[in-house]
Amino acid sequence: MDNTLLKIEHISKFYPGVTALNDVSFTIDKGEVRALVGENGAGKSTLIKCIMGVEKPNNGTISLNYNGNWVSGMDALQTQAHGMFANYQHVNIAPDLSIAENYFLGKVPKTKFGTVDWKKMNEESQVIIDKFKMDVNPLAKIKDLPIAMQAMVTISKISVNKDIKLVIFDEPTALLENEKVETLFHYIQELKQQGVSVIYISHRLEEIMDICDTVTILKDGTYVDTKPVSEVTKESLVSMMVGREMSDIYDIRHFEPGEELLRVENFGDDHHFRNINFSVHKGEILGFFGLVGAGRSEIMRALYGVERHTTGAVYLKGKETRIRNPQEALELGIGFLTEDRRADGLALPLEIKTNVNMNSYDMISKSGIINLKREEERAEEFSKKINVKTPSIHQLVSNLSGGNQQKVVIAKLLCRDPEILIFDEPTVGVDVGAKEEIFKLIERMTEQGKGVLLISSYLPEVMGLSDRLIVMSQGNITAVYDKEQMKNLTEEEVLMEASIEE
Amino acid sequence: MNKKTSKTGVKHFYQTTEFSLIAIIVVLFACATFGTKNFFSEYNLMNLLKQCSITGVLAIAETFIIITSGIDISVGAVTGLSCMSVALLQSKMGVGILPSVVIAIIIGGVCGLYNAAIIYEFNVAPMIATLGSQTIIRGAVKIISEAKTISGLNKTFTGLGTGSLGYLPYLSLIWIVVAVFAVLVLKYTIFGRNLYVIGSGVEVARLSGIKVRKMFYSVYCLCGLLCGVAGVMLAARINSAVPTGGEGYEMDAIAASVIGGASLSGGRGAVTGTILGTILMVLITNAGTQFGMNTFVLEVTSGVLITLAVVVDQLKARKA
Repeated sequence: MDNTLLKIEHISKFYPGVTALNDVSFTIDKGEVRALVGENGAGKSTLIKCIMGVEKPNNGTISLNYNGNWVSGMDALQTQAHGMFANYQHVNIAPDLSIAENYFLGKVPKTKFGTVDWKKMNEESQVIIDKFKMDVNPLAKIKDLPIAMQAMVTISKISVNKDIKLVIFDEPTALLENEKVETLFHYIQELKQQGVSVIYISHRLEEIMDICDTVTILKDGTYVDTKPVSEVTKESLVSMMVGREMSDIYDIRHFEPGEELLRVENFGDDHHFRNINFSVHKGEILGFFGLVGAGRSEIMRALYGVERHTTGAVYLKGKETRIRNPQEALELGIGFLTEDRRADGLALPLEIKTNVNMNSYDMISKSGIINLKREEERAEEFSKKINVKTPSIHQLVSNLSGGNQQKVVIAKLLCRDPEILIFDEPTVGVDVGAKEEIFKLIERMTEQGKGVLLISSYLPEVMGLSDRLIVMSQGNITAVYDKEQMKNLTEEEVLMEASIEE
Repeated sequence: MNKKTSKTGVKHFYQTTEFSLIAIIVVLFACATFGTKNFFSEYNLMNLLKQCSITGVLAIAETFIIITSGIDISVGAVTGLSCMSVALLQSKMGVGILPSVVIAIIIGGVCGLYNAAIIYEFNVAPMIATLGSQTIIRGAVKIISEAKTISGLNKTFTGLGTGSLGYLPYLSLIWIVVAVFAVLVLKYTIFGRNLYVIGSGVEVARLSGIKVRKMFYSVYCLCGLLCGVAGVMLAARINSAVPTGGEGYEMDAIAASVIGGASLSGGRGAVTGTILGTILMVLITNAGTQFGMNTFVLEVTSGVLITLAVVVDQLKARKA
């Protein structure tokens, strides 16, 4: 009997000006967990869309072995009807509906009168929620949940389906905390045992080593190779992805901290965080680690003047300062790279040019009139500096890959030349190559004497880059480590501090 | 590399909405010129220009709002209010031309500020907020006019509505001034750029240090002021003010913007497109009438055109 589940044959996909996929062919067996790796722009997301029938490839065929019959050329509805499901990179669920309603979207259980069987729906949802250890009410609205929980809902939603043949996970762990990652891995193992095939996309190569059987490498839209995970190392994978060896990407130069730039005393907002004290100096990277809900992003939002704080004070270069809105924060030299670049970092329908200049138009204009030449020059200069891969600064940001979008946000930040930079999860959904560039950039910033606040949920990253590390749990600072102490620090110790309950 | 786009990833001119519109307008114009007796006459062409002008100003006002991903369906009502105000001020209160015009325009601006307050402070969807104000204003117009037609406007003033500079009606002159102003604002000012950013996402705008509240008030006020201008133009053109003045104008304004390439989801829209959209809409009715087409059929044609414009746009977006 044929053990192949999916055949991808000579797939090509062209967009105006871009070849996203070029003659890609490979097959996937039943019950196989296949990793798909490649840099941003390698064509992973496009390939997924082609497999799911969301995009139509220009050439080639994709066929599914559906109980012994080969089916090909399916559209988005047909693929789902044939047991193919995808968990996309961007949380894609109805924000105004409850978890239960989202689970059963399009397949609502009915009572014998033909009305919605709410009881059954909620009970079955509760089963899924328990299975995924989510600890939420099935009636909770999606928009009221933290983004990590939303991501978990999209993942667990797949298990509602019966007769699953193939599940695709596109960066499922980008927004998850460690414990939930475990739950996800457990679910993937379960799928595998049921004979379901899994395509797993992640930039975190450790994960791939842990849970995948085989790995397919894509580079610049072309197929490179498929290998059993047992035959590759992280280093060999990276070199196949980018065509060069991975040095230790966290190994950046550190500098002697200078004078104090920012100090926060007894900072609190009555809700998300309390009694927060820290300071950051010139040339210093201050890391923040915590699980989701620890209050790190909220502190930064309060610092940046988006939200209010109720207690404590902020000192800029020793002087007490009130920051009432983002505009004041920007004027005082604070730049903020937010966690969710699509929701609040980028103007997706607009050109790169406008995005790069977005928060610094006052610097290139006189009485409200923009110097168009300077606008273009600055967009060119900064997108080049940060290595944004695009044919032109007039390209719409919505057409860029995730990593390039992130670079545009960083370019926008640097355009104002702030002294204090807040990076909230700067490498979420960003490939190894772009990650390395971002780290180099942070290095360059500190060399210039800027102070960096770095939030990351990815321990190796935040431990590797920071000069000092603050660990938070449930709105409190539970530990602070300096460079010396961090040398002998294990990830377990940090995780312990991050999970301290009040 | 796909041949359809240039190396820089920028659209060629022949791929733009503007190019398609110009092509359609030229063809229609040619057909009407050679196919009918009266279309290409001084009288009709001047009339065509005048018909365009008032809708044209409103469409530009609407484009500003649509760029921010809002919509203002009170523009017709505000036009009617400003029209009635200028008529009442001149005929019943004996106010001079300039003060009456200024007051009427300011009234338009105040209506805009009111819309902004409801939308921003109470977080009401623009469609609903302006639906409310539209109804309020329509009622108010009938109250202040006692539901009567007001005539007896200053003769010099109404000369503005009928007169022309050479072959260019004064009304069209105003339209051109407004259009040039709008093009400059959108292209060269921070205010203009910020409108597009707000249209892409209010949160993005806020975090980029844009004073979102001020922007909302400014843009709705600007829209109101332009409606005020349109109202004054209307009064001058028809030499009176009717209680139902400006009714339905909002739909023409929205249609012209959308045909011209503005996107109701925000972040997209241009004055040149809106101008061409206006001309096309008016041209279809005008040329159709010259061809002796049934008015009801013309209405259907306009509707089909609006739908087509949006569908073609969607198809293009899908391709890109």
